[in-house]
Amino acid sequence: MAFVLTLIGAALACGLEMLEALAIVLAVGLTRRMRDALIGAAGAALVCALLALALGPLLLSRVSIEPLRVVIGAALLLFGLEWLRKGILRLAGMRSPSDSFKEFVEEREALEEVQLPAPGEPDWAGRVIAFKGVLLEGIEVILIVTALAARPGGLAPALVGGGVAIVAVIAIGVVAHAPLSRIPETHLKYVVGVVLTTFGVFFAAEGLGVEWPLSDAALLYIAAVVLGFSQLEIASLARHRPREAVGA
Amino acid sequence: MRAARKLILGETWTLPAAIAVSLAIAGVADAVSGSHGWWHDAGGFVLLALVLAGLALALRPARR
Repeated sequence: MAFVLTLIGAALACGLEMLEALAIVLAVGLTRRMRDALIGAAGAALVCALLALALGPLLLSRVSIEPLRVVIGAALLLFGLEWLRKGILRLAGMRSPSDSFKEFVEEREALEEVQLPAPGEPDWAGRVIAFKGVLLEGIEVILIVTALAARPGGLAPALVGGGVAIVAVIAIGVVAHAPLSRIPETHLKYVVGVVLTTFGVFFAAEGLGVEWPLSDAALLYIAAVVLGFSQLEIASLARHRPREAVGA
Repeated sequence: MRAARKLILGETWTLPAAIAVSLAIAGVADAVSGSHGWWHDAGGFVLLALVLAGLALALRPARR
């Protein structure tokens, strides 16, 4: 059970964050030069890889298991509750839906105003924008995957989930940017919020001396409670919604 | 710097504060109840309730 939930959580979280990074890289590449966009993205990927190589072993070797569970739980709760809060607001119609395609179009329009350097000269503006976009999304991916992988038995499903997400997002990027507009991002991000919050409560409680009834199967009833509570919030907020939806 | 803060803590201070308070209460309850007290069996549900209360608090501005 924990294996499947870890895999789903890692795959969805990585996939959605990388989709946002892909939107920025595509916007830079198609508006300016693809080569410079890829150089910026590759630089950020390298920094992220170094960070992942440093963070994982450091956490596992320096922190004992009980405090580590609390730290992991707190990190997952920080990300999970924020995704859940945004998901609830979006599904209640009080915030614009999550849309990487819209971000792609907006980024592209903004970049069209910046002048391109002469042919042969490096496009530093394009490189920096691609670097920053991939770096910020990449750090979030690393923190989530490291937190999910740090639990005993969590490494394999977290890495498999992350790997599946990488392949899927690269495939979307290679095929075309059009499918970006067809992905139900709002609902997927809401699901990630539920999964990360569930793991966060589970790990943090374990680290604070709790033994969950039914062991790992507790993940199921925690997820059910989080899902039920958030659905009640969505229904309640939808009733309070003003006539005009509030923007992001 | 602002992007990094938003990345780690999110858009509102309510959630990080609620998580910190929830974990602090849970830590105190764990210490007070002992290794096999009521916290050992039921503490997870208390923490879950605290976390969901924090989420509800973070959603309150949307109701105004």
